[in-house]
Amino acid sequence: MWLWFSKLGSPRWFYELSNKWLPWLYVAMMVLMSVGLLWALLFVPEDYQQGQTIRIMYVHVPVASISLACFPLMAVAGTITLVWKMKLADMVAKSVAPIGAWFTGLALASGAIWGDQIWGTWWAWDARLTSLLIQFFLFIGVIALRSAIESQDAAAKACAILAIVGAINVPIIKYSVEWWNTLHQPASDFSMDPVAPNPPEVWVPLLIMISAVYVFFVIALILRTRNEILQRERRSQWVIDLVSREKSV
Amino acid sequence: MNKPLSDGAGSDISTWQAFCATLKRDLVIAFKRKNDLLNPIMFFLIVVSLFPLGISPDPVELSKVSAGVVWVSALLASMLSLDNLYRADYEDGSLEQLLLSPQPLYFLVLAKNIAHWLISGLPVVVLSPLLAYMLYLPSEAYWTLVLTLMIGTPVLSLFGSIGVALTVGLGSRGLILAVIVLPLSTPVLIIGAKAVTDVMFGLPVGSHFALLGAILALALTMAPLASAAALRISVN
Repeated sequence: MWLWFSKLGSPRWFYELSNKWLPWLYVAMMVLMSVGLLWALLFVPEDYQQGQTIRIMYVHVPVASISLACFPLMAVAGTITLVWKMKLADMVAKSVAPIGAWFTGLALASGAIWGDQIWGTWWAWDARLTSLLIQFFLFIGVIALRSAIESQDAAAKACAILAIVGAINVPIIKYSVEWWNTLHQPASDFSMDPVAPNPPEVWVPLLIMISAVYVFFVIALILRTRNEILQRERRSQWVIDLVSREKSV
Repeated sequence: MNKPLSDGAGSDISTWQAFCATLKRDLVIAFKRKNDLLNPIMFFLIVVSLFPLGISPDPVELSKVSAGVVWVSALLASMLSLDNLYRADYEDGSLEQLLLSPQPLYFLVLAKNIAHWLISGLPVVVLSPLLAYMLYLPSEAYWTLVLTLMIGTPVLSLFGSIGVALTVGLGSRGLILAVIVLPLSTPVLIIGAKAVTDVMFGLPVGSHFALLGAILALALTMAPLASAAALRISVN
């Protein structure tokens, strides 16, 4: 177990392992994404209230759910950086911040498009919108702090602390705004019952889309992390070998 | 009081003594630099007086936004004065002495944060009824405003301290401090301003105070730890 753990911390090991993972992830994403998108856009029945606009949900919900997962992930990676000083964890933490900011921005944008159709307004100071907006600011803060500190080691630790503080704050922000103003509907339950408000024909494609976007997120994270590995390890022998091999091909 | 760990010369004072000494030192320094003491208060006054100019002199409209205006201005005033918290100590090296001292850094940071609140937060709390009056806040909400600020501004100092500790070694830190600290302060702002607005509508506010108190308790116990860890990273 510990051997595995320390191995996982080695950037080279991760780089080589992710080489093997990536093709499978690409295939999985293509399959899930095409099945999910086609099903959601062409075959899901129209909602009796929202009509065609219900299809925005199949982009909005996956993107929003991932944007919520990014901050805890960054905090966990930060904790590992602080406790075990694992290089790879900080590379992941650094890579996840811009992705998290993008996904939060996308969730806000797709929500605005949906909201324009359903609520009749692009923006409302509703609880979930506001807490997502503040989470977006928190991501920007982490990215800004990272780019402001020159020493890589100090930046890693400082961002780890900010990520942990932010992650403790995210639920507090969420509950305080929720309680301040709520327009957003609560998440609906998944139900197997075909006559329930949410029959399987509605939520199965949603689950497929969620997993597709999750795989996409993992791919993006791995690619960013691999870039980071190459950049930081550019003086180590295995990277030099790798680059010279690529050049000769 | 626990007997202090004695691991060398000069460490024979208790944590409590070190706490008091740090608090006293910061207050003395602040009172010797009258500008640092006055600037946050003046800033608070000026920002609050800008709002009627920008919105409207109409009492009805102003009384609607008064709670939020006072709260946002208090938040900005607290943030503006944060830079004094560790900056001068960082530059003259006394921050390093603080980090090297055998006493737990948690209490020293807490003392500095309390000093910062006494200098920048408390005057804002004391002045707030006057400004609330100028903004036509209904008189039944005065006490709620003062009390929420009383509980809320220490949280602003404690959270802000984390941001300053993270950025103290940086050259250009003014804006990045705001980007880091302001989003963290939103729960306090929301609950504090909401409590005052609810009182104006005759709604019960006990739960708001309970939440603010809970956030203060959390900030008191956790934030100095994060500040201490951040200081150890920034000072290297």
